[in-house]
Amino acid sequence: MKAWILRSFKKGIITTRFPKGKNEVASPWSTTPVYRDGNANPYCPTGAITNKKVDANLCISCGLCYPEFEPSMDVRGSISHLSVPALKKSIRLYSIDVGSCGACNLEVMAMVSPQYDMTRLGVSFTNTPRHADALLVSGVLTPGMMDPLRRAYEAMAEPKIVFAIGACAISGSLLGKSISDALKIDVIVPGCPPDPFTIVDAIQKSRGLR
Amino acid sequence: MKQSGVAHIIDGNSYYTLERFTDVPVILASEGLNGFKHENFSSTDTERLSVFPYGPSSGGMVESVYFDILTQGEKIEDVRYDTDFKNRSIKISGLSMNEGLLRMERMNGVHAASYSTLFCQICEKGMNLDVPEGVELLRVAMMEAERISSHLFVASRLTGGASQNIAHMNILLLREDLLRAIASVFGHRYFFGVNRIGGIGRPVNLKEFGKKVRLISDEYVEIFNTLMDSRIFIDRLDKSAIIKGEHSSGPALRGSGINRDGRNFHRYYEGLDFKATTSEGGDALARFIVRSGEIVESVGIIERAISRIGEIKTGSQGVREVEGTISGGFMETPSGDASMLLKIRADKIESIGFRSPSILNMEAFAESIPASTFADFLFGYESLGIWISEMGDLL
Ligand code: SF4
Repeated sequence: MKAWILRSFKKGIITTRFPKGKNEVASPWSTTPVYRDGNANPYCPTGAITNKKVDANLCISCGLCYPEFEPSMDVRGSISHLSVPALKKSIRLYSIDVGSCGACNLEVMAMVSPQYDMTRLGVSFTNTPRHADALLVSGVLTPGMMDPLRRAYEAMAEPKIVFAIGACAISGSLLGKSISDALKIDVIVPGCPPDPFTIVDAIQKSRGLR
Repeated sequence: MKQSGVAHIIDGNSYYTLERFTDVPVILASEGLNGFKHENFSSTDTERLSVFPYGPSSGGMVESVYFDILTQGEKIEDVRYDTDFKNRSIKISGLSMNEGLLRMERMNGVHAASYSTLFCQICEKGMNLDVPEGVELLRVAMMEAERISSHLFVASRLTGGASQNIAHMNILLLREDLLRAIASVFGHRYFFGVNRIGGIGRPVNLKEFGKKVRLISDEYVEIFNTLMDSRIFIDRLDKSAIIKGEHSSGPALRGSGINRDGRNFHRYYEGLDFKATTSEGGDALARFIVRSGEIVESVGIIERAISRIGEIKTGSQGVREVEGTISGGFMETPSGDASMLLKIRADKIESIGFRSPSILNMEAFAESIPASTFADFLFGYESLGIWISEMGDLL
């Protein structure tokens, strides 16, 4: 026990000040690329590039547009179509994987780690959609998960928010269908997978805190 | 194609298969290819006992997977699983090798370095493409960093499940530190876009990377030693989900005392002075000990690989058109050995055969569970590092 306490003291405070302060780091290619130099329309496997501009909803963070494009390092690229002030103090999340590669699931879970410490923002996970205010959906919509996704959504109480976490859930990326085939997406969290800071930022936007 | 216990491709009337830890395809009769099936319990089972359905989506699991647990009170009599709910049936055949690579990275994103390397290596072999040694060593460094990250994740699941909250948070902290270091060197926390067929996709600067992973591993060893003094933690893992014999993969195989690690047979690892970690017991504790030992061993491999990597030029060598060839390979991913066969024609993948480690480990898990309790279920499952994403079909 003593060893644990000593170790914790040695570490000092390591939790980010984000979203009040700036994010300390970013996963470069998980942020939307911006034009740098050369060809304005280089090859992009998802057709995300048009005339020096990238559609974040389609970008799968593959980096094939390098060196004409480079990462923007902007972790605030999410879009929330709603704002629910009732959830300002506390929001409970239910994470559901409808066909992911696993990376989005882990980036969602990364918010628990001390560097992010999501509980300081009143954000927590629940093990059942019944107690959830928001569904964090990751992956392409597979036929087998269509029904479990709908049932999870129906089990939630109002107000309820649907987050599309990552390129697969948003657009189907290269691997399948968007979750918009089953549910209306309220919050778009781009990236493949999104940086954890981007997920934190998106949660704050959904409750009118940004 | 559905995965079975052996990677295989059907080519006309022939079945090409790939034995574990080998890269030479052999022709086998089709009877050798038993798939793993999800079966329901018989009515005599369910008369005596109750079936507890778990999944496919539940807050307790990282991925979507369904279990039917046949139980009598706390004791589990048997378990059946269905991993098809999130099966994406990823289509690779008919695509160019470069398009295939993007999909392979996203088959199991958590082990993207291992799978993209495996795929690139098989394509390169099929095209007789020589890859600079520096690129191969860089791939090793990526895969070993991925192994550390993956093992830390499993350790965090086990400590979290055992309510060792301080250890849990400390391990999450180390893993996040590692992911940030990976992102700053490789441009992506999961190595997406680094591997290209015949080369690498972006510049990497490995200068401080060896030092950083060494620091993370040193801290992990302190945590590990403290955990090994905790009777509460050890009791949770000890004798949980005992797996013995050859029919498992990776830390599960080595945790049952079998000294077999694909890295010992892989030419990328030649001269990197690497020793496989084993443990006895075959239970969740043995697998945890193997993973912990591998974290330290991986740091040594990374350091030795980096010391030999010279200057690496960014860019791919491009794809050569080939006549029509079947090429195979294996890779020791953090969860165990994976095998893959590709039939390549011109610049396209004509067909693919694949066997993931998780397909073996899930079967081994289900066989290890009868006579266990519900607590063993969680620790048994989490200790195996099973990824449902890699158990789907590759078409
Ligand atoms: S990173 Fe890949 S998907 Fe995104 S814009 Fe560039 S080429 Fe397109």
